This record gives sequence, structure tokens and C-alpha cells, in this order.
Amino acid sequence: MTAPADVSALAACSIEELGERLAQRGYFAEQGLLTAIHLALVLSRPLALEGEPGVGKTEVAKVLADVLGRELIRLQCYEGLDAGQALYEWDYPKQLLHARVAEAEGREVGELYAERFLLERPLLRALRAGAGAVLLIDEIDRADSEFEAFLLEFLSDFQITIPELGTVRATRSPVVVLTSNRTRELHDALKRRCLYHWIPFPDAERERRILRARAPGLDEAAAATLVEAIKSIRGLALAKRPGIAETIDWAHGAAVLASEGARWPEALQRSLGLLLKDQEDLERVEARHELFAI
Amino acid sequence: MTRRAQDHLHAFLRALAEAGVAASSPKQADFLMSLVASPPADITGLYWRARLTLVTDREAFTVFDAVFDAFFRGGQLLVEEPTRVPPDAEGETAAPNAGGEGELEQLEPRSGSGVRASAADLRSTRVLPPTSAAARNQLRELRATLADVLPVVVARRLRRGRRGRRLDVGRVLRTANRRGGEVVTLSWLRRPPVPRRVLLLVDVSGSQRQYSPDLLRFAHAVVRATGRAEAFSFGTRLTRITADLATPGVDRALEALSASVLDADGGTRIGVALEQFLANGRFLAMARGALIIVLSDGLERGDPAAMGAATRRLARLGHRLLWWSPLACDPAYRPATRGMREVMGDLDELAGARDLESLLALVRRLPQTTARARRTAARTWEAVDG
Repeated sequence: MTAPADVSALAACSIEELGERLAQRGYFAEQGLLTAIHLALVLSRPLALEGEPGVGKTEVAKVLADVLGRELIRLQCYEGLDAGQALYEWDYPKQLLHARVAEAEGREVGELYAERFLLERPLLRALRAGAGAVLLIDEIDRADSEFEAFLLEFLSDFQITIPELGTVRATRSPVVVLTSNRTRELHDALKRRCLYHWIPFPDAERERRILRARAPGLDEAAAATLVEAIKSIRGLALAKRPGIAETIDWAHGAAVLASEGARWPEALQRSLGLLLKDQEDLERVEARHELFAI
Repeated sequence: MTRRAQDHLHAFLRALAEAGVAASSPKQADFLMSLVASPPADITGLYWRARLTLVTDREAFTVFDAVFDAFFRGGQLLVEEPTRVPPDAEGETAAPNAGGEGELEQLEPRSGSGVRASAADLRSTRVLPPTSAAARNQLRELRATLADVLPVVVARRLRRGRRGRRLDVGRVLRTANRRGGEVVTLSWLRRPPVPRRVLLLVDVSGSQRQYSPDLLRFAHAVVRATGRAEAFSFGTRLTRITADLATPGVDRALEALSASVLDADGGTRIGVALEQFLANGRFLAMARGALIIVLSDGLERGDPAAMGAATRRLARLGHRLLWWSPLACDPAYRPATRGMREVMGDLDELAGARDLESLLALVRRLPQTTARARRTAARTWEAVDG
């Protein structure tokens, strides 16, 4: 496996070489995504990824952190997330205790808004990470739109002002990956600052490679059937189309059943609950036995 | 880069703007910078650099692809014919002469230029009569009532309150600081109850013709009064009308509507419209945990099974699913059509609403309706029969 490279080194290598490095770490990207990552590094822009759940949006950040040898800092968004939870907070109970103890011992209370009372939250941590970081802002569509507006400022300057301490600037700007499941439209202003890429479902060849890397116990014929089945299942009008993550779970589940002596078609059918999480979808797929024939 | 290449690129950017997928100038700068910083090896490389930097929406991909092909892959730039028949809700383009077993809808003679006339597509706009003074009073009353009767849910965000479950430590300390370090009062954080979202699905098909103006006025009152409501109209296709309804002034809003609701007074395909609604992730999020009210007579022209399946899913998503039908105002009415029989088991209420007065009565009864157990509409209607 190639050793971790820093951002400029990785930006300098060709798209094929980048794909090679990601593949070594078990991530198989199509050319569009590789170009997106390449440009994000070259132009130092945030990368906005959309796609159906389970196509590997979050995984991109993880594998990038691995390739770059940087720390991965994740900010999981949710409704009601505010700047305090994303940036920094003062540790009030600790400040209060400190003041009380100082009072009881008759000492000077000293500076209460000091470094040691500061609780770093993901965005601040990403700025202060000495060796740079990969910042993953996950499922941004879950956060409120005010939070998006706040992110604009952060993403354009990579600096945060703490009134009591001063301005914190990134020594090395973090590589930023934003993901969205598209439950709501992102603001145009935010998307304008990013490189936008829609990750499609993988084609059969790529999905086979992914399965070979992620579920090594699977036999070749079963893997081929599985990939074909997945393709047809995604073509059905389901409430929730299965992503790559579910496919891998399914493969693992079927492999366990097969190792316990079940035949492959039966193992695939019995572990279907790992792939589909909706009763009506399950019924619809189970009715089509020909999908599992090997 | 040669002069010619530059011209070609700029023409490409202009063509994108003309095709309706204009990229802002920082995005264009990004695109050009990406070409300089990392020159593409082939057309596919150029394609990805262009799409990644210029397009910010998945919906724009097809238009972008067409323009790109025309400029860099030697394709023809297709000029859309103005008379092309748009695909219908199932994504199929209607044949110019509908025939065979397809039901033909009656053509009503209308005056007009004849430019929009087509035998296959009965899309029509309609001018609604102005709202009377009496109706305005009823609407005002509706808006005033709504705030008190909607079901509530505990807010996600913490707000300041006199009592609560969590101490607002920051605030307590800040006030204490101002008072010489003494904590005199405690501040709390709590999750106050907030009204649930209302989701209205209004049938504007031909069979609803005489009721739809009042139903749309009702929808306007709900959207204006509650702030978080969402409204959709459906006939043969689904249209989100929340934005139009948010216009202040009921007549102005209805005027805005008649421009966007294209299927007014056409046929009814409730199943298809609901499936269309459920297929959109963003719309789904609006239905989740909401008070869903369907304003329709339930006379389905399409497949009743599809209508049943879609309704079932809608019922599971929402807090309550109410079906208000103008037909149910008649004491002799029974939900006996195939479509209604399919959905009855999933409804929390089936009641009559044909004008503002009956709507107001139903709205006043909302607290009782939402307090009942779920899916009791069928039982209530069986009780009517004895």
C-alpha cells in the first residue's frame, strides 16, 4: 500500500493514480467522483456530494483521510444544530467550580475565559488540527437553513473569531467534504462554493470489485448472482432502493448462512432482510424467485 | 489556450445560460481554473471538469449533457419544438390521436386562439370568481380557529422558559455575573409544544369543479395562518401550490394559482398523483408526522389498487390522515366506490366538506378527531349503517 501523501502531492498525481490509491484502501470510485476529488484538492474547494443513501458518500471522507494521513473530523448534522455545537462552547460548570474553589482557598480567580475552559467542537477542531484535517460535514440537509448560512462564512475564510480569545485561523486548511441525502434542497449560495457531484449507483463491474474487497468470503458465482439481483432490484419501483452498504451487509449475511450449510440461492433469499428494510419491498422482491437462481 | 478554443468555451458557457442552466461567474471561473490547473486528457475529462464545476443540481444534468454534446461531441443542438406534447404523470408521451380502449374525455368548446388546443391533453387554466364578503368573514374565522385546534408535537429545539427540565447553565451564570456572583433565579430550557405541520392534498379535477374554489380558499387560509403548512393540488398531475398560496390576499393567491395549476377540471388519477407525491423524498419529509388532509371525492379514474397502496403509505407516514369529501355531506352517501373501499381501512376520518361553512365545522372538531384512535373511519361508517 502506498504511504499517505500530503495534499499537494496527491493533487499533483494523475486521476488514474488517485483512483489506484483509493482502490488500495478498498474504495472504488468512478471517473466522475475521481475527477471531483482531484479538482477539490487542486482548487482547494469543498466537495458537495449527493446521492441515494448508501452509495458511499461518507466513505469518501474516510478514505481521503486515510490516503492523506490526516485526522478525520466529523460533524453530524441534525435539526436544531447550532453554531455552539459546531464551533466551540465554554465549559460553564468547570468555570463555576474553578471560581468557587479559588474563592474557598482565597486565591485570585484569574482568567475564566482561557484555553482550558474551551470545549472544542468539530469545526474549531478542524481549524486547529496541526497537520490539517479532513472535515466531514455529514447529512447537511438535516440541519436548518440558518446553519447553512453560517457554514458559508466558515467555508470561505476558514477562520473563526472567539471574542474572548481572538481569531483562530487554519494553519493548513482542511479538506472539506459535505454530504446530503437530498431530503431538502441545499442553498444555491452554498452549492456555488462547492464542487457538486451526484454519486450514482455503481455499475455491475464496479459493484463486483467492491464486493470482492469488502466481503472476501463470497464465492464468485454467488457474487455474480448477487450483483445481477441487485441491479434488477434497483430497477423495481421500491420505496427505498438498496445502496452499496446494504449490498455488502447482504453479502455478509448470505455468506454466514452459506457457511452454516445453506445452499446459495436459499441463503440469499433468507438474508434479504439485510438488503430491504420495508415490508412491501420485501414482498415484491421475494415474489421474484428467478433473481436468486445460480 | 488558443483564441479559438477560448471563443468556443465562452460560447459553450453562453449556450448553457440560454438552455436555462446558467452558471454564476465564480463557478465559471472555477471551470476555467480547473482547465488550467489540471488540463483534461480527453473529452470525458473535460466533461467531468465542466459538470463538476458548473452544475449544482442533479435535475440540470440532462440539459447540460445535451449542450455539452452539441459543443464538444459533434452532436446537434436540439431546438425544442413548441408544439411537443409533454409527457404525462407516468412519463409516457400521449399519442397525438388517443384511441383504442383509452377513455376519451369530453371536449368542451372554448373560445381562444386555438394555439393551445390539443385532443390529447386537456390541460386548462381557469379563472375563479372573486371571494364574497361573507366568505372573507368565514376565512378570517378559520384562520383564528386554526391556531387552537391543530395537534401539537414537542419542539425539537430548546427554548427559554420559566420551568423546564434542563438548567440553562450559561444564562444562570451570565445573570449571576451581573449580580456579583450570586445565583438569584434559575433559568430553564424546555421544549414547548408546537403545532404539527398540516399537509393538504386538494383535488382540482372535473368532478370537484363546483367545490374546488372554496377548497383552494380554505387551503390559502391554512397556509397563511400556520406558517408550516404545505399544499398540493392534483387532478391528472401533482402540483405543489404552497408558494402560490403564500401570496397575501385570497383572490391574488387564487389568480397566481390558476397560472400554475394546469390540470384544473380534467380527469382524476388519485393513485398516480399520490405515487408521484411519495416518490419525491422532499415531499415525503413534509408528510412525516403531519396532519394530512385529503380534500377529494375519491372518484378514481385510474387503478384503485394503486390509490389504496399509496394511501396506506401516506397513512403510515403522517400523524393523522383525514379524507374530506364533498359527497359525504349527503346523508345517503356511503363510501362504496372501489377506490374508497380500498382506502377506508387506512383513514382516521371520512367527513363531508363542500364549502367554507362545512370546512369550518370540521376544523372546529379537529381536537376530538385527532384524539380518537387511529384508522377508525371504517368503523365509524359501519356504525352509521346500523
